[in-house]
Amino acid sequence: MPATDVAAPARLRWITATIRDVIDETPHVRSLVLDVPDWPGHKAGQHVDVRLTAEDGYQAQRSYSIASAPAAAAALMLTVERLDDGEVSSYLAGEARVGDRFELRGPIGGYFIWTLDLGGPLFLIAGGSGVVPLMAMLRHRAVAMSTVPATLLYSSRCADDIIYRVELDRLAGQGGGLKIVHTLTRERPAGWSGYTRRIDRAMLQNVGVAPEAQPRIFVCGPTPLVETAARDLHALGHEPHLIKTERFGPTGR
Amino acid sequence: MADESQGAAPLDGNAAGGLLHELFALDVTAAEVICDGCGAVAEIGAVRAYGGAMGAILRCANCNTSIIRLTHTAAGLWLDMRGARRLFVAAPA
Repeated sequence: MPATDVAAPARLRWITATIRDVIDETPHVRSLVLDVPDWPGHKAGQHVDVRLTAEDGYQAQRSYSIASAPAAAAALMLTVERLDDGEVSSYLAGEARVGDRFELRGPIGGYFIWTLDLGGPLFLIAGGSGVVPLMAMLRHRAVAMSTVPATLLYSSRCADDIIYRVELDRLAGQGGGLKIVHTLTRERPAGWSGYTRRIDRAMLQNVGVAPEAQPRIFVCGPTPLVETAARDLHALGHEPHLIKTERFGPTGR
Repeated sequence: MADESQGAAPLDGNAAGGLLHELFALDVTAAEVICDGCGAVAEIGAVRAYGGAMGAILRCANCNTSIIRLTHTAAGLWLDMRGARRLFVAAPA
């Protein structure tokens, strides 16, 4: 059985990751490509705990979603949004350089995950950096050449804040049943023909997969977005057990 | 997920997966818990979580009962599960 099976009795331990590459995704968001010796593999949607230790022994710890597909086990990717008062994110998405080392443990999570055998259709709903675990699912789907129909509804503040924009455009352009719909909540750029409001019930109905198709739904973003979307999806007739949510603290989105 | 907000806003039980894993020999985020307050059944990953690396309180999303409290102190790790009537972990597929 794979080490990441829910009931696999593998102890979680802190291991050292080395930064192999740094990718600036947006003005506030960076991806870190990591070398992690003996990484046991992961499932799309899982996260890791990151622990930083200062010279004086002070430790700070946070959780970050894994952005890379399970198949890319040789290069684990985390995508981190820099928060103004973030003890850990200000380093990971700020000062961190290639060759730096820090501790992490994982993979963690058996709830907010998508595996090929779960099938679809997939309906993914993201706010801001909530797109990260959903990107792992889309990358997994692409690498595995899955033909499961998938829809991503992705809310960003402005066009410059859209994470993975080029890769998302490329994935959607390949056809194969992937639809990506953006909405911008604070800007209407010249020539923008997409949505310019927060995700709401009408948008979920128009963009999303009909409840009759029993889509597997994953919602990740700031708490208000997640709670509103979950309530609207329920009202539209989606079964609660097919709606998985993951929220993070308010970031003013 | 980036759970840097350590304030009043709850996260999901999923975010406490690493902390719970320090005590349980397996990842319990997909395990089902029955709330002792209202009888609601939920996956650990889906309940409300408050706290951070030093400890967490998991609360029922339905009635807000404290289901699991896990706290690090200098003396060791404390677990209080009075609000959890039962925990069910499915056999691996």
